[in-house]
Amino acid sequence: MHREEAAKIVIEVLEDNVLDLEITEDMMDQTLVDIGVDSLDVMLVMMDIQEKSGVPISDDKADELNTPRKIVDFILDS
Amino acid sequence: MLGIEAVASFVPENMIDNLEQADRFGAEREFVEKKIGVSRLPRLREDESVAYGCVEAFKTLAKTNAVDIDKIDCLVVCTQNPDSGGLPHNSAILHAELGLKEECACFDIGLGCSGYVYGLSIIESFMQANGLKNGLFFTCDPYSKILNPEDKNTCLLFGDAATVTLISDRPKYVRAAAKFSTRGAGREALEKVDGHLTMNGRAVFNFALMDVPKQIKSLLELEALSVTDIDLFLLHQGSRFMLENTIKRAGIPADRAPIELSQTGNTVSSSIPILLEKRLDDMPGVILMSGFGVGLSWASAIYTQNF
Repeated sequence: MHREEAAKIVIEVLEDNVLDLEITEDMMDQTLVDIGVDSLDVMLVMMDIQEKSGVPISDDKADELNTPRKIVDFILDS
Repeated sequence: MLGIEAVASFVPENMIDNLEQADRFGAEREFVEKKIGVSRLPRLREDESVAYGCVEAFKTLAKTNAVDIDKIDCLVVCTQNPDSGGLPHNSAILHAELGLKEECACFDIGLGCSGYVYGLSIIESFMQANGLKNGLFFTCDPYSKILNPEDKNTCLLFGDAATVTLISDRPKYVRAAAKFSTRGAGREALEKVDGHLTMNGRAVFNFALMDVPKQIKSLLELEALSVTDIDLFLLHQGSRFMLENTIKRAGIPADRAPIELSQTGNTVSSSIPILLEKRLDDMPGVILMSGFGVGLSWASAIYTQNF
């Protein structure tokens, strides 16, 4: 998968699941909490990203993936 | 044919303000109110038991329905937090409290959030097989007794309540079909460790969103029905966010699936009958119930109006 494709999945899932969220480039390195993704949203986001990317995300890994870019990188590395 | 004649519930007056509790845990009030969806949590007092809650539910049932106590020939209690550690079985305690005749079958069922759907099927089948005519099916699972006071994930979620369902040969609703599933390998998501409930919220969430819609769809397919053929979906009231997304993923029209846990929290096996009690008089034609949780265990059933 290309970086653009992985980023598209992550951004779409975040924007689809979090009300009024619009991801800009400068938000890619901000923590999910800082961009308004709460702990319940994170569960939904991780589940959708797993389904859309086909990459399984363990509980421990999900805790580490706390910025949009980290999620993109994880998809690419998997 | 046996089925559901009436339902009544008991929600303790003793309440915890969940927003004040949120402050104590350092959680956002808005998050607790809008995402978890629980503003107040009913709690049995220290000296109030499963039997007490069940008797109170029965008193409500008897107030609004003609229940001939001398004709009750089956009593089942669903709980995972029984009085006296389950010895004797709490149905025997209730048998005495209600003054039922000796010729009455009594037993307990140890299931959590899938317990109501399972329990209905068990008591109906048991009564049918043995020629019994009037049964009482109680649910009461006071998780408050096993909550770790330092665990915000569970303390902000669970409430206490009790319900009773009158099963008789004069039913308003009868079971058309049901499906039951278990994933014991996932049991660690909800378990009692050192006397306290522990919950892996993410595992429970994934389970609810991925497995429950599949079972509902499979049950509908079995009966050659679509979601639009169901008048009322009664889903276990786990948390608002989990419910909203389970409903969405199952393709259920939101206006047919009530979410009402603001004043009760997650009452385990009592959540579905609490919803049902309020809607029995509206006489929806077809009801689909789905309970899911501890086990992991999930069960869904379709009930149709009995004309």
